[in-house]
Amino acid sequence: MDAPTPIESSQAASDAKRAPPSIAWTELPAPARMLLTNEFGLIALIAIFGAIFALGTPGFGSQFNLYTLGRTMAIDIMIGFSMMVVIVTGGLNLSVGAIGVCAAMGMGWLLERVGLPLPLAIVGALALGGALGAVNGALIVRSGLHSFIITLATMSVFFGVMVFITRAQAFRDLPPEISAFGKMRIEGYVSALLIVSVVVGLGLMALYRLTPLGRDMLAAGAKAAAAELSGVRVGRIFVICHILSGILAGVAAIMLVARTGAAIPSMAGDLGQDWLLPAFLGPVLGGTALAGGRVSVFGAFLGSVLVSELTNGLLQYRIGEFWLQTWLGLLLLLAVLMDLARRSLLTRMGSLAR
Amino acid sequence: MTAAFSRFLRTDWFGPLAIIVAASIGISIFDPSFLSPFNIQILLLAAAVNCVIAMSQMVIIAIGQMNLAIGAIGGLSAICFAGLMQVWGFPPILAAAAGLAIGVAAGLINGYLIARTGISAFIITLASLSIFKGADLGITRAQPFYNIPASVKAFGNTTIIGPIPWLALPAALIVAGMWYLLYRQRIGRYILAVGGNANAAELSGISIARTVISAHAISGFLAALAGIMLVARLQLGQPSIGDDWLILSFAAPVIGGAALSGGHVSVFGTSFGVVIVAIITQALVIFHIDPYFVEVVLGLLILWAVGVNRLREVRFQNVARAA
Repeated sequence: MDAPTPIESSQAASDAKRAPPSIAWTELPAPARMLLTNEFGLIALIAIFGAIFALGTPGFGSQFNLYTLGRTMAIDIMIGFSMMVVIVTGGLNLSVGAIGVCAAMGMGWLLERVGLPLPLAIVGALALGGALGAVNGALIVRSGLHSFIITLATMSVFFGVMVFITRAQAFRDLPPEISAFGKMRIEGYVSALLIVSVVVGLGLMALYRLTPLGRDMLAAGAKAAAAELSGVRVGRIFVICHILSGILAGVAAIMLVARTGAAIPSMAGDLGQDWLLPAFLGPVLGGTALAGGRVSVFGAFLGSVLVSELTNGLLQYRIGEFWLQTWLGLLLLLAVLMDLARRSLLTRMGSLAR
Repeated sequence: MTAAFSRFLRTDWFGPLAIIVAASIGISIFDPSFLSPFNIQILLLAAAVNCVIAMSQMVIIAIGQMNLAIGAIGGLSAICFAGLMQVWGFPPILAAAAGLAIGVAAGLINGYLIARTGISAFIITLASLSIFKGADLGITRAQPFYNIPASVKAFGNTTIIGPIPWLALPAALIVAGMWYLLYRQRIGRYILAVGGNANAAELSGISIARTVISAHAISGFLAALAGIMLVARLQLGQPSIGDDWLILSFAAPVIGGAALSGGHVSVFGTSFGVVIVAIITQALVIFHIDPYFVEVVLGLLILWAVGVNRLREVRFQNVARAA
């Protein structure tokens, strides 16, 4: 349904030519296969940078820094997941930030104005996130237009309506439990927020590996027409992916509220744009195919971990500060270029093995 | 007569122009000051810069891609323009040339990476958006440049004759230039051909890589020009210039009938799209509607425009099939 541009479709065709033939891939000895996976590369990078930062700066390895690192990391991982579940369809969701802020503000409103208990307010906020995701999904599937332009428009609409309703006022009198959860430490250095991200990640892994719904999502994303012919209701699946994306964006926003202790309209920047880079960095570093149909939940998790680690380390070295965005942009560029190089290497190795 | 009229109806710019006329009449019935020279001057000032921004995105839409980085390129060029004048005392003309050169260089980098690696324009420009924005903040340390020469300030805030501001001059030149480039020059035909069908274009001997790189260089140039114009209008080199360009840059071309899959854009349609956005913004002020609502309206406009474009597409296909 997402009509790719001619350039991108010809690109996809050449990608298919370049992609390693699956038979040769499995013929490689198991250790070589493991060393060449994206996940292994990410773990190695995380370990190398971890060692450099821990030896180079006194602050990085401290218990407190690891705990704060975990708090930011947990949110970036969740933002990455909320984009990942839509990238699976071959589309994208520019409105993750806007949906997240709407959900957080919705929760603040339910708590302060309506006076609901916290669990109900969280359910309400996630329902709002899911509903906004459903609007995206329905518009994309009904119109047959690319998700880029639809979510660009809805990002503006969602954020604008939110600011209009809340008059750009933050909700600060939230129940103490929520920021207590944000401050909770396990064993001194593991943030409770990180546990949430790990649990959600395991849930997503189970979804894609074990359930028919997850397999339908991957099939629909890989080849919508073929999936439709084999009985997958592609439109419905795409809408579900967008609902899931909205809910996960809501989870990320609630975690951010737990960290900062308030629901603030500007917490994701103007129109929620500040979430876009972390949202794409994790999945793209982790090897989720932008064309759809291929996903690595563990990779996306590791990608976000690497990004948060680098951000934290650069700040410890005091070279980040204002130039931070430049480094993150270069990292994204490097990641996609390395992915390209890895794939062409695999093709060459594949042809050798044959 | 009727044949000529129905041809008008089918052009991309007719619909937007009709909306502009109807809206102007409608609003001025409620508030006659809408068509006062002062108000028209404000409208033209807003439209002038936005028009260049929209053209910058339109060139990339024409090749069937998207450029998320135009705001970051515009911001970087703007602060370089202002910084060169304040810190090193460059004369405005030289500083502007340097700013434009930075824009072209940034566009060339984008185009080169997209054409040579085959990675989608979305990811490349998302990365370069972040790189250029980081450089902008890194150079300025998030502080604006305040010492802008009087001549630059005057250019951004005085009028040529009547209500027509000086800033409208570069915008008008760009609109005319883009029309000439796209519809009368070889590179323009190449851009539209590559956007329409890249395989067919390549088979007929067009270098896709060179066309993509050229389009991105033009886009970078226009983004830089818009940034420089904004410095003149705001009278300071603000690091946040360009932060809010993205939605508008897509809204105006889409209102003007551009096909997001590439190969079909309308220079005049896009210009009228910019004017529509300016009129709506003004109308919200006149009718005392919350200015926050602009974002909602812009988003709804995009949805409405892509919907209408889609319907037109389907109807043309049906007509073509019937004929």
